[in-house]
Amino acid sequence: MGKVIVITSGKGGVGKTTSTANLGTALAMIGKTVVIVDADVGLRNLDVVMGLESRVVFTSMDVIEKRCELSKALVKDRRVDDLMLLAASQRNRKDDIKPEQMQDVCEKLKEEYDFVLVDSPAGIEQGFHNAAAGADEAVIITTPDVSAIRDADRIIGLLQNQGIDSINLVLNRLSPSLVKKKNMISQTDVLDVLNIDLLGVVPEDSGVIASTNRGVPLVHNDRSPGAEAYMRIARRMTGERVPIPEMRDDNFFGQIVNWFSRKK
Amino acid sequence: MDFRSLFSRKTKTSDIATQRLQLILTQDRFEVSEDSMKKLQYELTEVLAQYFELTMNSVSMSIKREGNSYVLLADFPYSKSNKLR
Repeated sequence: MGKVIVITSGKGGVGKTTSTANLGTALAMIGKTVVIVDADVGLRNLDVVMGLESRVVFTSMDVIEKRCELSKALVKDRRVDDLMLLAASQRNRKDDIKPEQMQDVCEKLKEEYDFVLVDSPAGIEQGFHNAAAGADEAVIITTPDVSAIRDADRIIGLLQNQGIDSINLVLNRLSPSLVKKKNMISQTDVLDVLNIDLLGVVPEDSGVIASTNRGVPLVHNDRSPGAEAYMRIARRMTGERVPIPEMRDDNFFGQIVNWFSRKK
Repeated sequence: MDFRSLFSRKTKTSDIATQRLQLILTQDRFEVSEDSMKKLQYELTEVLAQYFELTMNSVSMSIKREGNSYVLLADFPYSKSNKLR
């Protein structure tokens, strides 16, 4: 029996879909069986980020309305074994699905897969409630800015009200050089304000754009700092103890400083 | 341009952001109006001022998440010169 984890944020554009794609891929690369579920009905994107858009035939809507079997609606990933995608319907609206129906789909999926990652739409309306309905745990994605953190706080409150105890944070797009210059809220301050457990920190990585352009998740490029971060987070999700490294400065001067400070 | 404004360009925006955030979150979590909050803060300060040397703006309030519930925190500076009367 696996578990259902909703990946959510409140605010849009902070990296929910990118994180779902990368964590799903990373977990499958580690050897877990994974389904990633797009819960953004009407505005689906997970298929595009995964490069699977041409393979989507059926969606969760077809399963719910009994037009096809659940197993038939799952799209197999092109690169990694044991990684499946359940796409959202592009022709429907978010309130065409009820939370119980989504919960039912998630229950069935976790009987057969180790991890069911649900990519939530932005907002706190029906779409979010549907995405969170079947969740055992939640991963909150936030970026280090006032509006994203504020929205994350609101989402955490809603998830707690729903009875989800395990809520962990991924701090996305952190720029060590900006933090060092005190022009970006630091990891410590974000945690201090939100006071939930940190699952990981993903540094700002321009490789994400290229990877989305290609439709190949970043974790396939094992040298990128973002990919390394997602791999570490995935290992933590499996229960492995992986330390969260201190963010290294990403500019040239910072690298020199780091090189010297490491020699000590 | 005075001497200070030369340095003010270096204001740490991350500190501003964190302070603003704390204020915003306190209001969001409180779910009460800013007026009620100010009133509570005022009355709390009045009571505390009977025991400590306090100015009107020295008590700050915030709400912190502790697991599944919230804790209301009221902070004010305490020092030897400000000990219990």
